[in-house]
Amino acid sequence: MAIVKPEMKSFIWLETPDGSTQQVEEEVAMFCPMICREVLQTGMGSSKNYAIKLPQRVTTPVLGLILDYCRFHQVQGRSNKERKSFDEKLIRLDTKKLCELTSGADSLQLRPLVDLTSRALARMIEGKTPEEIRHTFHLPDDLTEEEKLEPLRIRTNDPRIRLLNRLYARKRKELKIREKAKCMLENVEVEEEHEHVDDRSVDDLLLFINSGDEKDSKGVKSSASGAPKNKKKNRRRKDHPKGLHIIENGNHKKETDSLCSSASSPSKISKLLESDSPTAIMHSSDFDFDDELDPAMKEQLDREVEDFARRLNSVWPKRVSGTGMGSLGHDRRIAFAPLSRSS
Amino acid sequence: MGFSFPEDLLEHVFSFITSDKDRNAVSLVCKSWYEIERWCRRRVFIGNCYAVSPGIVIRRFPDLKSVELKGKPHFADFNLVPDGWGGYVYPWIVEFSRAYPWLEEIKLKRMVVTDESLELISKSFKSFKVLVLSSCEGFSTDGLAAIAANCRNLKVLDLRESEVEELSGHWLSHFPDSFTTLESLNIACLGSEVSFSALEHLVARSPNLKTLRLNRAVPLDKLSTLLHRAPQLVEFGTGAYSAETRPSVYSSLAEAFSHCKELKDLSGFWDAVPSYLPAIYPVCSRLTSLNLSYSPIQSPDITKIITQCPNLQRLLVLDYIEDAGLNALAMSCKNLQELRVFPSEPYVMNSNVSLTEQGLVSVCEGCPKLQSVLYFCRQMSNSALFSIARARPNLTCFRLCIIEPQAPDYLTFEPLDSGFGAIVEHCKDLTRLSLSGFLTDRVFEYIGAHGKKLKMLSLAFAGDSDLGLHHVLSGCERLSKLEIRDCPFGDKALLGNAAKLETMRSLWMSSCSVSFGACKLLGEKMGRVNVEVMDESDYLELDSKSDGCLVEKLYVYRTVSGPRDDMPPFIYTMGQDSAYRLN
Repeated sequence: MAIVKPEMKSFIWLETPDGSTQQVEEEVAMFCPMICREVLQTGMGSSKNYAIKLPQRVTTPVLGLILDYCRFHQVQGRSNKERKSFDEKLIRLDTKKLCELTSGADSLQLRPLVDLTSRALARMIEGKTPEEIRHTFHLPDDLTEEEKLEPLRIRTNDPRIRLLNRLYARKRKELKIREKAKCMLENVEVEEEHEHVDDRSVDDLLLFINSGDEKDSKGVKSSASGAPKNKKKNRRRKDHPKGLHIIENGNHKKETDSLCSSASSPSKISKLLESDSPTAIMHSSDFDFDDELDPAMKEQLDREVEDFARRLNSVWPKRVSGTGMGSLGHDRRIAFAPLSRSS
Repeated sequence: MGFSFPEDLLEHVFSFITSDKDRNAVSLVCKSWYEIERWCRRRVFIGNCYAVSPGIVIRRFPDLKSVELKGKPHFADFNLVPDGWGGYVYPWIVEFSRAYPWLEEIKLKRMVVTDESLELISKSFKSFKVLVLSSCEGFSTDGLAAIAANCRNLKVLDLRESEVEELSGHWLSHFPDSFTTLESLNIACLGSEVSFSALEHLVARSPNLKTLRLNRAVPLDKLSTLLHRAPQLVEFGTGAYSAETRPSVYSSLAEAFSHCKELKDLSGFWDAVPSYLPAIYPVCSRLTSLNLSYSPIQSPDITKIITQCPNLQRLLVLDYIEDAGLNALAMSCKNLQELRVFPSEPYVMNSNVSLTEQGLVSVCEGCPKLQSVLYFCRQMSNSALFSIARARPNLTCFRLCIIEPQAPDYLTFEPLDSGFGAIVEHCKDLTRLSLSGFLTDRVFEYIGAHGKKLKMLSLAFAGDSDLGLHHVLSGCERLSKLEIRDCPFGDKALLGNAAKLETMRSLWMSSCSVSFGACKLLGEKMGRVNVEVMDESDYLELDSKSDGCLVEKLYVYRTVSGPRDDMPPFIYTMGQDSAYRLN
C-alpha cells in the first residue's frame, strides 16, 4: 500500500479492458468501492505491471467520466449546489453513453453515481410510448402481437376454454395418429409436423379430475415396425404465445370435419391408439372403427365437456352476497342528484 | 441497450419509474423489459375488477405491495345500479392472501366488502399498512374490529363514504394498547357513536397521526380534547359542529385550533352554527382544502371564512354560498384549483338560493389556476359557457349539472350546444366532462371534433339520434368511460363503433334505445368485451327476450377474463350462449 509522503502524491494503476493502463490519484481512485477493495485486499495497483484490471463494462471513455465524477466529489467542502450543478452537467450525454456510464458505475459499485445515472435514464423513459422507448434505446420489437394484446394469451386461462383447447388438442393428436397410420399403411411418407405442444402449467393439467394427463409425457410404445415415433411428450416451449392455440383450434376444427369421413383400417390403428395416452375422456375401448366413429366421438366429447364444465362451475368460489344498500327510489327527472360528496 | 445491461441494474432504473402509465409503457417495449418489469412492479391499479381475474394479476405480477380495485360503475353514486349487481372483493382477497403475504395496501372503491373479507385481510398480511374503502358496503363494525385487533402495523384506515352496518361503537377499542402506528383515520361515514374514550386513547398514542376525520356523532365540546392530543394534525374533520353558545367551550376550541400549526385541511361541520365558526379563523390562512358541503351555513358566514383563506386550493360547498360568496372566492382565493358546489335541495325546482351561472363565471374568470369544476345550478346560458371557456382553457375537469333536465339557455331558449362546444374547443386538456341542459346532436359533433383528450364523459337527457353517440365514439380517441342515461341513442351507433368498445374501460347506457338484438350481436362478435344487460322488472326470461325489445340498462366493458359468474338473476351476459365462443 502506497504511503502518502507530503512531497509525493500516490497513484493507483488501473487497466481498462482494452489493455491500456493509466495511473490515477489515489484519493480519486479509492472513491470507487470496487477499486478500494481491490487495493486493500489484493495489494494490486501499486505499479504498472500490477495494475488493477477493471471490469468489462468500464471502458476507457467510461472510466474517464467516472474519474471526473470521483475527482469532483471526493473534495470536501463543496456546496450541495455545486455538486448538483456538476452532476447535471455530467449526465448530459447521449443515451448510449449514459447507459454505458450507468453500467460502468454499477460494476465499480459507485452507488451515488449509479443512482444519478439511473434517475437520468428513468427520466428519459418517462412520458414516452413503447415505440419511442424502443427507438431511444435501440431495443428490438420482439413482443408478438398476441403478447402485446396479452388478452389473447390470458383468455385461455378461462377453465372452460382451456378445457376445450385440451380436448381439441387431444382429438387433433388422435386424428393425426390415425392419418399417419393410414399413410403408413399406404407407404406414403408422412411429413413430420412440428407439433404445437401446449405449455400449460402443471396446475392446469392437474385441474382435470381423474385426469390421465400424467401419462402423456411417458411417450408411446411404437407398435408397428418403422412407425415414426409419435411425439407424445408434452414439450413445454417457453414463451409460446397461447394465441396460437386459438388459431390452431380454429384450423383443426376444419381438419376434424374433413377427416370425419375418412375410413381407417382397424387393427394397426387400434394398437397405436391403445398405446396412445388414454385420458379420462377418451377410452380406447370405446372406439369402434367405422364411419360413424367421429360423430359418436364428437358427441362424447360434447357430453364430457358439459360434464367437466359443470364440475368446474361447482368448484368456482361461491358468490358472497353483500347486504343491500339504500333505497332504489330516485327521481328520474333529476339527472344527477348526488348521494355523496366524496372528496 | 446495445450491449449487456444487467437485469438488476435495469430494475434499479425502473424503480424510479412509478406512474402506472409509464410502467405499462415499459412493459410493452420488448420481451426482456416485459419480464423484468413484471417482477419489480409493486403497485397495480385495476379500474374495473371484472376486467381481469385475480389469477391473471398474480401470474403476471408475482410481488405486489399495493392493489387498488374499483367495482361498480360510477352511476351507482346516483342509485342507478341495482342492489346485488356485484363487485365482490372476497375472491380477490382469498387469492391475494395466498400469493402476496407481504401485501401492504388495499384500496377499494364501490366494492362489496364483507366482514369475512376484512377478517381475512387482517389475518393474512403481516405487514398490512393501508386500507381505504371508498363508497364500499357490505361490512359491519365487526369487520373493523378484526382489522383493529390484528393489523399491528396499520397506518391508514379510511372509510370514506362507505355504508357500514354499525353493530357496536366499541370496535375502536380492539386496537391494542401497543398499537401506535396510525397516521390516518377517517370514520366520517359512521352514523352512530363510537366510544369516545377509545377514540381519545387511540389519538393520544398515535404520534404520527396526520389525518383524523370524525363522524357526526362526536360532539363539538369534545373536539378540543382531541385536538390537544394531536396538534400535529394536517387534515381534520369535525363532527356535528353545533352546541349551545358557551364561552368556555368556544375559547377552549379556539385555543385548540390555534395550536394546530400544521392544519391544512378541514371538513365535517355538520349542522354548523355560525357562533362557533370563528374558532377556525386562526387556521384559515394555512388552509389549502375546505369541505363545507355537509354544513348548512349561509353565504355571509361562508364568505367570512373564505376571505381569510388565500391559500385555498380546494373548496367543496353547498349552493348556500350563492353568487355573492363565489364572487368573494374569486377575489380572495387566487390559488384555487378545484371547486365543487352541491345542491342543498336537489329535488326542489324553485329554490330561494341565489346561485346562478354568474357565480361560476366569476370564479372561472378570477381564479387562474382553476382546473376542476363540479357545479350544480338551475340555469345556464351559452354566453356564460363562452366566458368560462375563454377564461379557463386550462380546465381538465368540467362537470355541469343543471338540475332540471333539458333546460335550455335561459336567455335565448336555444340549446346549450355552442356553449359546451366552446368548452371542448378551448379546453384542450379536458379529460372529464359532464353535460346537462337542452342539447342536440350538434354538441356531440363538437365533442367528437375537439374532445381529443377526453377520458370520461357523462350524459343525461341529451341528443336527438344515434348520430350523437356516433360522433362521440368515433371522435374521442382517448375515451375510456362513457356513461349515458335517458338519451335517444340506439343500435346503429353502438354496432357501428363496436371495435371502439375494446379500447374503453366501460360503457353504461340506461333508458336509451338499445335493443336486445343489438346486444346479442355485440356480445357474440366481441370476444374481449362483456355485454351485460340488466332488467329488474322483468328478468325471468331475460335470455329469451325478443330482439326488438329495448334494454333497460346496459353495461359493456372490456375484459380478459371472460363473462363473470357472480351476477344476480336480473343481469345477463349477452352472446355467451355458445360456450364454444373462442375469440
